Amino acid sequence: MKKLLSFVLAMVMILSVASFASADEIKELHTYETQSREIETWNVLMSQKAVDNNVMVNLVDGLLTNNNKGELIPAAAKEWYSEDGGATWTFKLNEGMKWVDQNGTVKADVKASDWVTAMEWVVNFSKNNGTNTSMPFQMVKGAKEYYEYTKELAAAEGEEAAKALTADGKFAEMVGVKAEDDLTLVYTATYPMSYFPTVCTYTSFYPLSPELIAEIGVDGYKAAEPATIWYTGPYIIESFTAGNEKVFKQNPEYFYANDTEGHKRFERVIIKMIESQDAAYQLFQTGELDHATLSPSNLNIISNNPSNEFYKNLVEARPTKYSYQIHFNFDKLFEDGTADENWNKAVANEAFRQLFYYGLDLTQYLRTINAINPLACVNYAYSANNVAGKSDGTDYAAMVVAAQGLSYASDTYMRYDADKAAALKAQAKEELTAAGVTFPVSIDYYIAGGDQTQLDRANALKQTISDYFGDDFAVLNINTYVSSIAKEVAALHKASIYINGWGADFGDPINFLSQETYGEDSAYYTVTYSFANNATDENLIAVYKEFTDLTNAAHAITDDDDARYDAFAKAEAYFLEHALCVPIYYDVQWELTCINDYTRVYSPYGSQTYRYVNWETNDQIYTSEDYAAFAAAQ
Amino acid sequence: MAKYLLKRLLQSVVTILLIVSVVFLLMRLMPTDYYFSEDELMKLTEDQKQSRLEAEGLLDPPLVQLGNFLVRLSRFDLGTSRRIQTNKPVVDVIGSRFGVSMRIGLTALGIALVIGVVLGVLQARFKGHAIDHVGTGYTVFINAVPTLVSYSLVLIFGARVLGLPSLYSVRKVQQSSILPIACLTLTSIAGYMLWTRRYMVDELNKDYIRLAKLKGLNDRQVMFRHVLKNAFVPLAQYLPYSVLMTVGGSLLVEKFFSVPGMGPLLTDAISRYDTNVVQGCVLLYATLGVVGVLLGDLLMVLVDPRISLSGKGEVR
Repeated sequence: MKKLLSFVLAMVMILSVASFASADEIKELHTYETQSREIETWNVLMSQKAVDNNVMVNLVDGLLTNNNKGELIPAAAKEWYSEDGGATWTFKLNEGMKWVDQNGTVKADVKASDWVTAMEWVVNFSKNNGTNTSMPFQMVKGAKEYYEYTKELAAAEGEEAAKALTADGKFAEMVGVKAEDDLTLVYTATYPMSYFPTVCTYTSFYPLSPELIAEIGVDGYKAAEPATIWYTGPYIIESFTAGNEKVFKQNPEYFYANDTEGHKRFERVIIKMIESQDAAYQLFQTGELDHATLSPSNLNIISNNPSNEFYKNLVEARPTKYSYQIHFNFDKLFEDGTADENWNKAVANEAFRQLFYYGLDLTQYLRTINAINPLACVNYAYSANNVAGKSDGTDYAAMVVAAQGLSYASDTYMRYDADKAAALKAQAKEELTAAGVTFPVSIDYYIAGGDQTQLDRANALKQTISDYFGDDFAVLNINTYVSSIAKEVAALHKASIYINGWGADFGDPINFLSQETYGEDSAYYTVTYSFANNATDENLIAVYKEFTDLTNAAHAITDDDDARYDAFAKAEAYFLEHALCVPIYYDVQWELTCINDYTRVYSPYGSQTYRYVNWETNDQIYTSEDYAAFAAAQ
Repeated sequence: MAKYLLKRLLQSVVTILLIVSVVFLLMRLMPTDYYFSEDELMKLTEDQKQSRLEAEGLLDPPLVQLGNFLVRLSRFDLGTSRRIQTNKPVVDVIGSRFGVSMRIGLTALGIALVIGVVLGVLQARFKGHAIDHVGTGYTVFINAVPTLVSYSLVLIFGARVLGLPSLYSVRKVQQSSILPIACLTLTSIAGYMLWTRRYMVDELNKDYIRLAKLKGLNDRQVMFRHVLKNAFVPLAQYLPYSVLMTVGGSLLVEKFFSVPGMGPLLTDAISRYDTNVVQGCVLLYATLGVVGVLLGDLLMVLVDPRISLSGKGEVR
């Protein structure tokens, strides 16, 4: 009997493998973006926006890229190393790379000096308008000083004088990037940094041929278009119609064109601009798209009906690189510009803040993000997964979770502690009443007007706060903005809390923690959302200062990565346990797809995620079982 | 006539300049953060933002900025796009789109005008008969059902039953234009049917129609020589405006079918705070509106000799 069963099982497996093998790969990929995410510039050095980078990383090769596991792999550079503990970094380029125009005609050889030209462009005030400078300033010696020099030159002698500067002369004297020969590029870092190569996946470290500038001029490159730029990447733009579609075709001179094993490309990639996620589902049904991320309503329709044609094709996508958190506003203002003293006093109280950390089981809220598997998107760390890791393989975010005494479970929201929450609520009520705070405390929260998904999430959060805090203690008020929360709400200090997502630009925890430090102008969240620098509560300021000291102490460790990450994990756990912000979720969505997400580029930092290289696809829709096998094999 | 035209042209120029200036000044009331994208706000330092605003003249007093804008406008220079297509001249951004909108819009308008007027005439001619009831039912349906729902019905039928592309594609222009044109046409037909029927029924009840019939003219002669001609006068006034405004595109249809036209451009530019593109669109729409009304008045004179543009009885 066992033999028979084994035989039957073996036959089933062989048949299923055979049927799978008979399916064809997609040669022409039909994908999409929503219309609000149209590319804004074709100048790869000028943008820090994902909408631009998602396209541009296919057209120009940076030094390095990522594979499907998130590891750094060669792109334009075949090897890279530092011989002095990370103070200088040498990149050896592939020999024989070519710049081509939109027709595929070879225009120039790719040389190490192209990266020097590009860095001059990025940090020249009159060329790049200050855009994309944040990482060169932090990481490349002399970059900030050169920027100031060009700004002063433009003010003194006019824009044209600054635009006329080249990578020779002053730039070569001041900035730590040199082409030792045509194939050897050397960066001098602002301090020894082991993670410097990770930033080389980002577009501020991409190349620019001086011969292209000679051809189209500085202003021509500023207003670059598919027909005027040069290409080194896997694809060339065949056609582009703003608001409608982009068509990529293969670059015939791509360096890895003949290495189809590790750099397999589609014959064409067609990116359609569509009105909404719901439209993607409609287009997937008619076979006009090869994948569709499902809106919550479409997911519910399919998942609640086992006879739905796509029921067995529902698959859970890999998490995006973003980590989402609740940020508190410590300097909230009313609409008329007067201070919301009630909220400001409440949020300065540690017990009140910790209620958001220990006192909320957010499963109901997470269900609005991932209706089928809500606890798959739980997030207990501020930093995202896979950004950095210790030499023994331990992921940095896992270290932060462990440092808080937490762990992930598939059936329990682990951070919720009912006893502790009850004690904190009593403590907060007593202390805040004594401070003159009235209850219930109003929590103003803003969502985009007309966005049903955001409204559903806000209502779930409101209900969760009502259920766990009680309506006599705190009430969430849902308000709306028109198009920009940063400009319409945060700039006016109008919300009590925000839910923000941060994705790393490079592979080190400082990229996350430096956004939250106290008294530092470059701390994005502190300066533009939490306004912690405006806080007056002494205990709150002391906690912030302690966190800032811990972060800076960790950042000062440059000779031992393990010790550096230990110190960062300690700082981050301190930050979270004092509830200066509260991690809430990772974005894990459901989709219907003919693409194996587990073969796509996985970028825990940088901008390589949408590089259409080495994707495994199937002209039949993948099933939930297929995806379970892919995830297990990862 | 010439004096009247000159006066109207001057009024039109002043109106357009007023609209453009008011919009320009209103946009300068926005906080300067609005000139930056969310990513730029995140990653540029305060000093970098100020330097950029200063270099672009955005920190000058609003009236100085307006003066500079009007001087540039006199050279047909609307500046460059800040966000929609960064650093591309606004004239090119708009120029690349209005041809698409106009082609689709004019085709839909032509079809809708012919079918709508013919059906409206038939409804009036056979008032109270089956064709009138069916036509009225169609008009009520189109006006009662939310536009997006009727577009969705067209899309589902067109894409799933007829196998037409759901989205506009520059690689299959004719095939992929069918559904957007169908949506525009189906809604416009209802409008032309409604108004043609209404004006014709009004005319049919007038004394001169009874007199014409008493004089022995048959129904056909009455309908086409008198009723339709007179009923067409109010429609004619809006015809140039409708034709010109096809350049503006349809926001809903173009978004729905991803048509790369003018329809969504103004709203996109507003939501992304691309002030130069907003300014360009406002200038275009204001000009089209003003010129459309002027041409409408002139067309009325041509189709109705009773109307004169000179003297005390001049229109408008």
